Amino acid sequence: MTLDMKRTLSLLITATLVLAACSPKARNASQVAARPDIYPDYIGVTIPTGISPLDFTVKGTDALDVVLKSPDGKTLRSGGKASTKFPIKKWARLLQKSIGDSVMVSVSARKNGKWESYEPFGMYVSPDPIDYGLDYRLLEPGYEIYSHMGIYERELSTFKQRAIIENTQFDGCVNCHSFNHNDPSAMSLHIRGKHGATLLQFDGKLAAYNTKTDSTLGFCVYPYWHPSGNYIAFSTNSTRQGFHVQPDKIIEVFDLDSDMQVYDVRNNQIITAPQIKREGIWESFPAFTPDGRTLYFTAAKAIAIPGELTQSHYNLMKVSFDPETGTIGNDVELVIDAASMSKSVCFPKPSYDGRYLMYTLCDYGTFSIWHHESDLWLLDLLTGETRPIDEVNSDDTDSYHNWSSNSRWFVFSSRRDDGLFTRPYIAHFDENGVAGKPFMLPQRDPANYYEDLFRSFNVPEFVTGPVKMNKIRAQKAINAPERIQFGFRWSK
Amino acid sequence: MSGIRRIISIGMTVLFGIAIYCFYSLKYPYHLHFQEQYQLFEFTWAYFLRVSSVPGGLADWIGRFLTQFCYYAPAGAAVIALLLCSVQLLTFAAARKKNLSTYALSFLPVIPLIAFYCDENALLGGTVAIAILLAASALCRQIRDRRLRLIIEAALIPVLYMACGSLTVFYVLITILSECIENKAKALPFALISTVLAVACLLIAVHIFPYVLERLVLGVHYYRYHNILPVMLWVAGLFTAVTACLGSLEFWDGLSRKHILSGSLIYCLLVLLGTGLTIKSADWAKEEWMHYDFMVRMEMWNRIMMTADRKNPDKPMTVSCLNLALSKTGRMSDHQFDYFQNGPEGLIPAFKGDFTSPVPTGEIYWHLGMVNTAQHYAFEAQEAIPDFQKSARLYKRLAQTNIVNGDWGVARKYLKSLHNTLFYRRWADETVALLDSGEIFEKRPELARARDLRLKEHDFLFSETEMDSMLGLLRVENPSNDIALDYMMSWCLLKKDLGRFVELIGMVTAPTMPKSYQEALLLRWVLTHDSFEGLPSYLLPVHAQRISRFINDLQAGKKEDQMLRDYGDTYWFYYYFRYRS
Repeated sequence: MTLDMKRTLSLLITATLVLAACSPKARNASQVAARPDIYPDYIGVTIPTGISPLDFTVKGTDALDVVLKSPDGKTLRSGGKASTKFPIKKWARLLQKSIGDSVMVSVSARKNGKWESYEPFGMYVSPDPIDYGLDYRLLEPGYEIYSHMGIYERELSTFKQRAIIENTQFDGCVNCHSFNHNDPSAMSLHIRGKHGATLLQFDGKLAAYNTKTDSTLGFCVYPYWHPSGNYIAFSTNSTRQGFHVQPDKIIEVFDLDSDMQVYDVRNNQIITAPQIKREGIWESFPAFTPDGRTLYFTAAKAIAIPGELTQSHYNLMKVSFDPETGTIGNDVELVIDAASMSKSVCFPKPSYDGRYLMYTLCDYGTFSIWHHESDLWLLDLLTGETRPIDEVNSDDTDSYHNWSSNSRWFVFSSRRDDGLFTRPYIAHFDENGVAGKPFMLPQRDPANYYEDLFRSFNVPEFVTGPVKMNKIRAQKAINAPERIQFGFRWSK
Repeated sequence: MSGIRRIISIGMTVLFGIAIYCFYSLKYPYHLHFQEQYQLFEFTWAYFLRVSSVPGGLADWIGRFLTQFCYYAPAGAAVIALLLCSVQLLTFAAARKKNLSTYALSFLPVIPLIAFYCDENALLGGTVAIAILLAASALCRQIRDRRLRLIIEAALIPVLYMACGSLTVFYVLITILSECIENKAKALPFALISTVLAVACLLIAVHIFPYVLERLVLGVHYYRYHNILPVMLWVAGLFTAVTACLGSLEFWDGLSRKHILSGSLIYCLLVLLGTGLTIKSADWAKEEWMHYDFMVRMEMWNRIMMTADRKNPDKPMTVSCLNLALSKTGRMSDHQFDYFQNGPEGLIPAFKGDFTSPVPTGEIYWHLGMVNTAQHYAFEAQEAIPDFQKSARLYKRLAQTNIVNGDWGVARKYLKSLHNTLFYRRWADETVALLDSGEIFEKRPELARARDLRLKEHDFLFSETEMDSMLGLLRVENPSNDIALDYMMSWCLLKKDLGRFVELIGMVTAPTMPKSYQEALLLRWVLTHDSFEGLPSYLLPVHAQRISRFINDLQAGKKEDQMLRDYGDTYWFYYYFRYRS
């Protein structure tokens, strides 16, 4: 080893020691008989092993010293001025040692130069695995016009986020994205604006489609893949926006008309039937059951918009579907009569094990994200009982959700943080239909990250692996004028 | 160059700088304010990384840093003057021959840049990129060891591409041409390698950055609209390369005693070219609109009327600013028709999904007390900014509307970003302190006013077609909202809806009936009665006599310009000669 190398090495070691010494440690801390006021609120949450460190900060403090302890006594310490910064690998090892039990968190914080130690709290580590990642749209929670936006993917076990597609690659906006049972290889994605199209990626192929046909109302809107991958149920909606003059509700998004239809992927045809395209009835939000033989959707009586908007109440309906022939049954059935409660059902989604169906319930209309009263509800498909999921609901908007592929976790959109910007929350869901306390999607420096982020997390969807969409191929398909035209046929 | 020639040359640069400064600060200042209000420069590491992590990002970041000084037009003009002088000096530095003629020639690239910055969508990052590229090529020329120079010149290409974007092509051009002039055929391998490197940068960038090739070629952020080629900027870039190369030719050595003559000739040509191009490029209609927008932003109500007295505004956007000033000063109901009116659009312009028009229109809604609508317009204008930047002015407004609406958590987000700026920091910090102390509405009367004026009992979806009803409700819920009354009555008058005007006249509580309203009521009387018998006492005889003359002249077929001269300040003239719905 040369003299220079030795010098460099000793400098590096010294620097590391100095940095380590800088990490604050609680000294002569006074005991506080309360749990700390941490942000995000991770006290008592249930977490999977495959989640990135749940870093947090304590409000109103200038330094932190946090010790995590697994049931076998292993500890992990982190501190700092802004928030904790648990090393990803050590955090993952600690969670592995804590499966089926709780990681105990001891927090000391410095306030006005004095250290205080709080009562420890636990984070329960579930043995149920979670999916690889989360895909979502990031955009400003705006009115009609959009700025920079895109579809992004977050690897849940780390803090890595990458763009799948952004509107810097074309003129327009990216809209609803959907996967078949969280499978990243079967994806649909709407593009709106000058280069409007629906991108479909399946069987390794990517193409841009024009989904509007002469026989249907308009473009395809809300998608739901059939488990076979051979169909996608879509609603087609004629959507408008209105703006309240009072502050409680700012925006109203409503349909002037809507219908249901099923896209036959293999034959490139839209299939519909009079029973899901009824005059005077607006159908929306389709969702197939995991066996692919039932199609849930919402439906409301047509009303005069915007005068009777608050009378717009969507019920939960279902109809049979034959995947062999692509036939939509005649047996349209009312499942939840929300109208009789003066409520409206949005985003019905059966769990992938077929046992439950989760939906959003709001006072009226179809755009629950702008309704502060929106809550998540659960329907037991065996007993027919339905209840609000009080374990996860908040005083503010709780809306759009998606199940993990094993149906043991769900992610949902909530505005509980500040009343405007939507953040994703993940909650455990046990075999008895009970949800754990949800936790906000972890970030490395969560307080600053979420404070500085002016974009909402929109349509969070679990994926079982990374989405492989070739950026160049996608932007070429979008920017090219050619579109594959959807065909049409009536259901037998 | 030495002695007197150097002094002359530096004097020309100083003169040029002063001329640029005077032009932008005295004749074109509102374009500078416009530039500043459509960006939000934050002194944070995250902001720097976000802006600089695309090709051309460093130049863009520096450009944005400089643009923030346009908050004060003289400071902005000084920045532009210094930047353009730098480009001129660096162009000269990149030329090998140093004489009066090449010095004069070095002003050539700056001429299109002056014209470029007459365009409100031209961003400073482009000129910063040119300056960096010229500095790089000039510095490389200082390296005497040829091999080392060639290596550094080539190695700098990807670095400069990342820092300055596609304008780097002119750096490549300058270095290749300079090497060719100096070393003739020996420079060909270098030229080949440089060209390959430049093309490779683009092709690699397509795979790394979320932009299509065309955008990477045109430049990610030289101009606010990404699909428009900023011609003048590219011409300037080309001129730098041409000038640097022309300035390296042996030809100049042969003019040893004629440089004063040739230099003077070049200066004359450049002055002519510069003046002509600037006159052609300057958009005075936009400057006028930006002037009104600035005055509304700064609430200079009296100055707006003084400006209108000098030259009557005639575009809906400018007229709407004037009408707001008239209402804010309590003069609208008496004097609105003293000025040109172009219908309801000149009172409250209809919403357009662009980044400019909703800004002053949002100001109108803010002063009316329609806080949600003001928020809507501010938000939409910001989202519509074509280069996806944010606006400090609109962040401030969004912080205000959220405070008034009670969404203090959201307001604090906007205030946190404003805290990171240079010129809005103080206001943001003071506002946060007032929020913390709970004294916000006591210490910020404009917010208390908006809170008191906004609708509380009625909720409905905003509708431009029911403007009179919305304005009426504002007045009903808050009888002190005189602006809402002004606008409601004016809306009916400008739409020529006299029936609705008469229905609403009962809401007017002024001790004497305002002039415009008297004129409207008299017109309605004339249209529905055969004589003035039974005329209400609040309609003064002087106006009744005048409308009689007006009707007589109208029936006599007097020409419009005569009627304008005699009755141009009346509602009747507007009713018969202006605005066809």
